[in-house]
Amino acid sequence: MPTIDQISESVFRETINRAVQDVFKTMLSKAATMNNSSDVANADGTPWEHPVQINGQQVVGTVGFIGDISGLIYLYLEASFANEVASHMLGMTNQELVEAGDEVVNDAVGELTNMTVGTFKNQLADKGFPCRLTIPSILRGSNFSIEPVSSATRRIYRFNVGAHNLVVDLLMKTGD
Amino acid sequence: MRYKILTVDDSKTVRIIVKKAFKSFDCEIIEAANGVEGLAAAGKEMPDLILLDITMPVMDGVEMLTKIKSDPTLKGIPVIMLTAEGGRDNVLKIAKIGVRDYIVKPFKEDVLVEKCGRIIDLKPLTDGPTKAKSIFDPATILVVEDKPAIIQQIQEGLKHTPWKIHGVNTTGEAIDFCGKNTPDLVIISLSLPDEAAFTLFRLIRQNVKSKYTPIFALVVKTEMNAQQQAQQVGFSYIVTKPIEISELESKIAKAMNLDTSQRYFAVDGDVFVMRLPENTTQTVVGEVLNYLKPKIAEAVDSGIVKAVIDLHELKGLNMAVIKLLIQAMQTCKELALQYTLIGNSQIVSECKGFEDTRNWQFHDSIADAKASFGKSASSSNAGTAAPQPAAVA
Repeated sequence: MPTIDQISESVFRETINRAVQDVFKTMLSKAATMNNSSDVANADGTPWEHPVQINGQQVVGTVGFIGDISGLIYLYLEASFANEVASHMLGMTNQELVEAGDEVVNDAVGELTNMTVGTFKNQLADKGFPCRLTIPSILRGSNFSIEPVSSATRRIYRFNVGAHNLVVDLLMKTGD
Repeated sequence: MRYKILTVDDSKTVRIIVKKAFKSFDCEIIEAANGVEGLAAAGKEMPDLILLDITMPVMDGVEMLTKIKSDPTLKGIPVIMLTAEGGRDNVLKIAKIGVRDYIVKPFKEDVLVEKCGRIIDLKPLTDGPTKAKSIFDPATILVVEDKPAIIQQIQEGLKHTPWKIHGVNTTGEAIDFCGKNTPDLVIISLSLPDEAAFTLFRLIRQNVKSKYTPIFALVVKTEMNAQQQAQQVGFSYIVTKPIEISELESKIAKAMNLDTSQRYFAVDGDVFVMRLPENTTQTVVGEVLNYLKPKIAEAVDSGIVKAVIDLHELKGLNMAVIKLLIQAMQTCKELALQYTLIGNSQIVSECKGFEDTRNWQFHDSIADAKASFGKSASSSNAGTAAPQPAAVA
């Protein structure tokens, strides 16, 4: 049986890159480009400097995967980007979104995260690491950081989507 | 019948996208947020199709699917999985429980509609479900013909209609056009190389949006084999070259289910007018006959008591036209409508030559005809300005 250690960094990067591109292109007709200059920061577990300049609200979607490999992926979106995503996915105007409230935006970001993590883990499942998804959850705020426990491996990937930034934070349980 | 689609997903976003995808089709979308709600909705609504997510709280999609398949009343309902849970082994495992299709998220709305369209007979919603479009409404007609002269002839011949005739020379251009527009009718020349007309026909029929779009074949009159083949394949109508434009026009109107009654029937003030065109062909007679009774009844219903049968444009009489006129007069009489006729000299003289029409009396204009109602109202002759025609067996 293959072990997680056999998956190389480039496979993780390629898999997450394909997942993000696929989801953004299919659901939002937008091109997402991986920003290679500063990814894989702090993979050694050293204190994490927040990868996003937080200006105002952030909406963070999380979905986990459990099975032969287990972990969590966080998708960080600035609030304005999150609104844009929701508006596009749901076919709603900004005004309609404001009336509908945060809950609707949260749900859209949750679903976007679910699809991204699903596409990521389905590729790993086909490589011999079956696992299943958890239910999405959403974090909102303007001054916070999410820290992994020391036994987790952390990989951070940044993407540019039009004028917006997307940060993908992949936390994985290290192989036993 | 209106189809019901049940979407079971804990994400409201997905349920909204599903609704959005089907909003231009005649179907009802029912929502449930987890397996328990989904089973309850399935039992209550008996949907024609279920779209099922896997990862959901309370009861997940696999459990719901298993329960559906073990319930004798529900197990026949087709299920399409719509989930982010992919991966070969997973898909195979779930497929074994019994699903009709498996869509892995992210998904395009078009793909969802197309896959559902393979299971249920999705029909596009018409603008007004009860009101038929009329001949005065705009429509888009795509003509696929490699000979520009023919396209031009059709465009020229139909330029008096509100229809936009879009001509293309190849099937590639046609597919491109259909991708961006939804034509109301397509005319394809069978003379396109390599039987391309038949390939295009199938492509248009496979698309859910154009599944019911009328498709005409265009073929030279003498090419019987091609005509036969087109009929077998299911072309809505075969137009033969040389093209008889007026015939083409009425076939298009019929295929698009247009209300052509306004061509022949109108209300002018307090008078109901039935007008026959210059060239009242057999097809026209058929059309007028179809509308005759309902149109007269509609007029009577709205309080009209006078009718004018206007033949001043009509070129000549024949048996079909005479029978139609007699039936029109008969219907007026049955509904106690006063009626009178308008004719031209040709028609007036032709009427003298037939036993049934010999005694018909005509006015020269609408104004004359209207004025005659005043006079006849005071007479006791059953209110008819024209002598009563003899019954036709």
